[in-house]
Amino acid sequence: MDAPWIRTVWRHRDVMWDGLVVTMQVTAIGFVGAVVLGFVLCLLVMYVKPLRWPARVLIEFFRATPIYVQLLWVNYVWPGVLGWPSSFFEAGCAALAVQSAGYLAETFRAGIEGISRGHVEAARAQGMSSLLVMRRIILPQAFHTMAPSIMNQFLVVIKSSTLVSVIAVPDLMYQALRLTAIWFEPIAILSCTALVYITVITCLSLVFKWYTDRLRERYL
Amino acid sequence: MLENLQQSLEAFDLALFWEYRAVLLPGLLYNFYVFFLTVGVAVGLGLVAATLRLSSNVVLRWIGTGYAELCRNTPEYITLIWIFYVPPLLLSAALDRNVSFSPLLAAVIALGLASSGYFTETFRAGISSVPRGHIEAARALGMSRSLTMWRIVLPQAVRHMLPEAMNQMVSLFKSTTLVSLIAVPDLLYQVSLVSNATSKGLPLYSGAALVYFLIIFGFATLAQRFSDPWRQRSR
Amino acid sequence: MSEVGVTSTGRVVVKVVDLHKYFGSLEVLKGVSLEVHQGDVLTLLGASGSGKTTLLRCINHLEQPNSGEIWVDARPMGFRIDAAGRRRRAREADVNALRMDIGMVFQQFNLWPHMTVLENIVEAPLRVRRWPRRDVHERAMALLEKVGLVDKKDQYPSRLSGGQQQRVAIARALAMQPKVMLFDEPTSSLDPELIGEVLGVMRALAEEGTTMIVVTHEIGFAREVSDRVIFLHNGLIEAQGTPEEVILNPTSERSRQFFSKILH
Ligand SMILES: Nc1ncnc2c1ncn2[C@@H]1O[C@H](COP(=O)(O)OP(=O)(O)OP(=O)(O)O)[C@@H](O)[C@H]1O
Ligand SMILES: [Mg+2]
Repeated sequence: MDAPWIRTVWRHRDVMWDGLVVTMQVTAIGFVGAVVLGFVLCLLVMYVKPLRWPARVLIEFFRATPIYVQLLWVNYVWPGVLGWPSSFFEAGCAALAVQSAGYLAETFRAGIEGISRGHVEAARAQGMSSLLVMRRIILPQAFHTMAPSIMNQFLVVIKSSTLVSVIAVPDLMYQALRLTAIWFEPIAILSCTALVYITVITCLSLVFKWYTDRLRERYL
Repeated sequence: MLENLQQSLEAFDLALFWEYRAVLLPGLLYNFYVFFLTVGVAVGLGLVAATLRLSSNVVLRWIGTGYAELCRNTPEYITLIWIFYVPPLLLSAALDRNVSFSPLLAAVIALGLASSGYFTETFRAGISSVPRGHIEAARALGMSRSLTMWRIVLPQAVRHMLPEAMNQMVSLFKSTTLVSLIAVPDLLYQVSLVSNATSKGLPLYSGAALVYFLIIFGFATLAQRFSDPWRQRSR
Repeated sequence: MSEVGVTSTGRVVVKVVDLHKYFGSLEVLKGVSLEVHQGDVLTLLGASGSGKTTLLRCINHLEQPNSGEIWVDARPMGFRIDAAGRRRRAREADVNALRMDIGMVFQQFNLWPHMTVLENIVEAPLRVRRWPRRDVHERAMALLEKVGLVDKKDQYPSRLSGGQQQRVAIARALAMQPKVMLFDEPTSSLDPELIGEVLGVMRALAEEGTTMIVVTHEIGFAREVSDRVIFLHNGLIEAQGTPEEVILNPTSERSRQFFSKILH
């Protein structure tokens, strides 16, 4: 008889692979959504006086709510109130986005505020428009200081994405739990799944570390 | 449209939440219970691993680093499920009798392991933030190694790492919401029970989100207040 | 006001009329008027806090004056006259268009740290002026040649000394081919041994006929290079004229005190 992990994981590697693909999709969409939403919130707080307070409240709410609570809230409450999301997949992505948007908004704000006023004035003194100053001077420079936290937030999204399995999004975790229920080989299946996650996250964090070290070396 | 509005109002009708306080409140207490037990485990493991990371022995250093990275790079949910199912089976096989973990035990071990990775890093950074010169000055005055640790290194290190440690406590409290996934009867678990029984999920989930938000926001704000003066003094 | 000793007869490039500027309730400029002609070098002198920086920053609208007018190259800076003849605040685009013609050099250099020396110089000509890339690069190299930093073109600013950074900042401002250059204490944050190289570049610019307004504490430089000197005191022009008149033979009591401290 085959070893348990061959019988379960290896034989169903296509299922696991499909799960991993869904994990990557949820993570990517959630993260991009978080960056966009976080940036919008950050701009509102910094530059749009009348919307400053609503934006602040949203940021604090997103930041101070556990991801799992957020996920259930988005999944159960939003469809009734907002008429969206209409699928579990969308709900999962939305919850991940909302969760990280709060953190990223704060990261962006700190990054932008960290740019010295002189650098901005030097740009304005040459006739650059506000938009150009933001795009060419503030954001690229802020990116160097923000890169570590942004990348770290990406890893957080991957880790949090395991929770979308709870609302039946068929990600890697979901498939692992399903296979475990069918075969009852938790040792093999869960350990292999953990290994996959650990490998992916560790590799990414090594790449990110290498990249931020290189950035620092180059400009400082 | 009208129906939508009605649903919206219903979603935030917190009266229902209040009505079931007799089951919900004990659930919330469970969150705190898990939290305090887990802090103990996480801080203990974190201190051990930080000591390993700061050891002069290369092998020990590697073990400390590897442990911290492993803890930090594993999603908490999988740690939780893995701890709940796998070690009991392995122990059962090894001891040749039936071993199982209660959900609470599994939750505390799993969350403790997961956060100890972050605490390790914080403790290490705190201790190595103490300038070598201070240690050398103390040793030059004839202070023993342990006296130096107690009187010179730790007071400074604690100041340095307190704000970060506070943040991690806040994260840890957030993580305690995961324990409902292995049937520890915390607030979210009770909410799902009540919502299944009454089929009125909306206000219950909104209420839970609000309660967690208030607790965590309050906690984080307090932590900030509390650690700001420390941060300044350590400069 | 006496115009004695003003040698230049060129077109007026910068004209400031009765400028007032408050920070909260503090009146920093209390009605300053001046004219700078093409090819002129005007030096602003005055004690710390007398409003020199504020005046320069008003000229390119980094600060908004509370009243008074500024004209650059006969165009209004920061305001416009609408059809009914009323004074209105200028549109951002108009301010920006005028700023292209005003070069500014800051005390703290303010080079953009994420761009190389060459990228710093070509940024605004390419994206604000929208000049063709080839011309811009050619001119940038010529400017680097002029400030003696051709070999540093691909370095990031953090690798340069203060004097080198300030020379790049001057080249960056010149690359827009401005009609007037504003210098705000360009040598004040430099180590003494690096001041000479920056003053050298500025002296060369003056000799080429660049129109310049310079705030500096380098009295020697002011004496040799400026066509006119203005002495500011508490937000008012206390004295103005040729360097000889203002610096060597001060008439007012305050300027006498100020220059006797500096010269002796
Ligand atoms: N942004 C500001 N807000 C409030 N007050 C300001 C601001 N900028 C300048 N001031 C005040 O305006 C006055 C004039 O400042 P300014 O920088 O123009 O002087 P200065 O002549 O350039 O002095 P220095 O030789 O020290 O550079 C000072 O009293 C200063 O404190
Ligand atoms: Mg000044």
